[in-house]
Amino acid sequence: MATYLLRKLLYTVLVLLGVVAVTFFIRPPGDPARVLLGQRADEASVAAMREQLGLDRPLYEQMGIYVKNLLSGDLGTSIATQRSVSETIIERIPATALLALTSIAIATVLGILLGVIAAWRPNTWIDTLTMSTSLLGISLPAFVVGLLFVLIFGVALEWFPNSGYIDRGIEHLVLPMITLAIRPLSIIARVTRSSMLDVLGQDYVRTARAKGLSNVRVFLHHALRNALNPVITTVSAWFAGLLAGTYFIEFIFNWPGIGLAAFNAIEKLDYPMIQGTVLFTAVIFVVVNTLADLVYGFVDPKVRLS
Amino acid sequence: MSTVLGESPRVVAWRRLKKNRGAVIGMVVLGLMIVMAICAPLITPFDPSTQILEYSVKPAMFRGSVLYKRNPADASRPSIIAVSSFEERGDSVTYLDPAGEPYTIAKTNLMSTDVAIYHDEPLFVLGTDRFGRDIFTRLIYGMRVSLSVGLISESIALAIGILLGALAGYFRGWVDDSIMWFVNVVWSFPTILLVVAFSVILGKGYWQTFVAIGISSWVDIARIVRGQFFSIREQEYVEATRALGFGHVRTIFRHMLPNAAGPIIVLSTAGFATAIIAEASLSFIGLGVQPPTPSWGQMIKDGYGYIALGTNWGMTLFPSIAMAIAVLVLNVFGDGLRDALDPKTSQR
Repeated sequence: MATYLLRKLLYTVLVLLGVVAVTFFIRPPGDPARVLLGQRADEASVAAMREQLGLDRPLYEQMGIYVKNLLSGDLGTSIATQRSVSETIIERIPATALLALTSIAIATVLGILLGVIAAWRPNTWIDTLTMSTSLLGISLPAFVVGLLFVLIFGVALEWFPNSGYIDRGIEHLVLPMITLAIRPLSIIARVTRSSMLDVLGQDYVRTARAKGLSNVRVFLHHALRNALNPVITTVSAWFAGLLAGTYFIEFIFNWPGIGLAAFNAIEKLDYPMIQGTVLFTAVIFVVVNTLADLVYGFVDPKVRLS
Repeated sequence: MSTVLGESPRVVAWRRLKKNRGAVIGMVVLGLMIVMAICAPLITPFDPSTQILEYSVKPAMFRGSVLYKRNPADASRPSIIAVSSFEERGDSVTYLDPAGEPYTIAKTNLMSTDVAIYHDEPLFVLGTDRFGRDIFTRLIYGMRVSLSVGLISESIALAIGILLGALAGYFRGWVDDSIMWFVNVVWSFPTILLVVAFSVILGKGYWQTFVAIGISSWVDIARIVRGQFFSIREQEYVEATRALGFGHVRTIFRHMLPNAAGPIIVLSTAGFATAIIAEASLSFIGLGVQPPTPSWGQMIKDGYGYIALGTNWGMTLFPSIAMAIAVLVLNVFGDGLRDALDPKTSQR
């Protein structure tokens, strides 16, 4: 177990190094200082900008400085706001975390529920309805779902506010949360259904039925428990997609999280901010996945030995 | 269903695909979309960048009234004058513009002296955008962008994914370790963020968008090809190629790759749909294909400002529906392909 843990952690560090190398290169093409200041800026101010951003040094030196600063938690300074990128990200974590965690919770609970309902009576109208709705949920990108929800529930029906943060009331969470949940919800429902149908066809389920156990008991106790493994994998794998989805959702609903900061930075090509937010998202993803791997390794010795 | 001995797997798969109602509908709609995108100039009433500012932000089914004026710069593309009413007076035409201002124009300056040619009442089936451009026309031209993004980006992704996946699965050892390290690094970024990052690096534009999406979406393909190659490598016919002294390249591309084709095909239809979404997302945040080239993401963003006002929701809704149909159709078709190509479901 100890060697497994060590190997896993070493590999994670290697992957993180690669991730840092990739984010380092996120900068506008050509001369970033020129791109930021525009074609009409005079040579002196471009040179000053270049020096301020450290672009006058050789590339390997820039990279060294970037890594050194990262190790002390410094993600650089935003060009647009002149504020520390790490501070901006840290103060926005709660907003994004609230959105992402409530969404994945709703998506998991509702997704499993819908998947189980569909598997309970496969190929009936309720199964068809659930599966075709979820197919639509997979086919629509988050930002389109968001706009449609704003249109239907925000503007036409006026049920929920379509912009703003929870400091103005918890009802502000409803639309962004549901919008973000739609895609993972659809996928979880589909995975649960097919996994349930797989399990229901196996011998021990037939044995349980033959013993005379009630349908509900067989369904929930014997089948569902064993059908959940692929669902858990899906949930942890979807966490990254969810974090990326917050970028669009936060913009549409004006939700003051990391995604909104990234979005504004992209419009202004504020690349230290883009680097910071992308790196943050990637690191969270790597950490979540390593943790998931460790948990699997702990639960299932087969994983550990491979 | 009995499978006739000696039938090629391709024939069997095709027959099973034809039996899948969803897949057939998907295929037909997809085919229609491709034809519409290719024939865009023939089926659209306007040029995608023709602006009639007087008719901006009109609802669906709006019928305008226009005079065609001779364009000295380009005879094939007349200038368009929006009018609320007009009257012929000898050699000239007097008209009221939509604001109610009267004007007079000599007939020689119009496209023709014949009223049937110089006047028209075009129908804007889906309304107009804020520059008075026909939304239906832009939707069809936007389909060109979406479909070509799917095609080109997915080809790039396939090329990278197959190459790296095949190398890793065939050679194993340190080659596999280093490729898998790279795969894991790239996999750590959510695809859409990687696309955004590459778009920042490459700059805005048509080709940059295709490349950014292509080099961001090969990871799943590389993983599946590697996995397939791991098991295919153990089979006897691969051993036979080694015994016959075939080179690595020949073994990989002529003998192993065709046997891994099924999952790759299924994955690339899904990738096609993802590429369409990625392009729309990029255009939505202002990266990606740049105006005046019409793109669905841009159109959705243009309409976004009007949604909060509760007016002209069609500007957002129509391109959204178009995109949903395209992606839905690709997903249904992909599902059908998977069932048709997967021997495990053959008993159904």
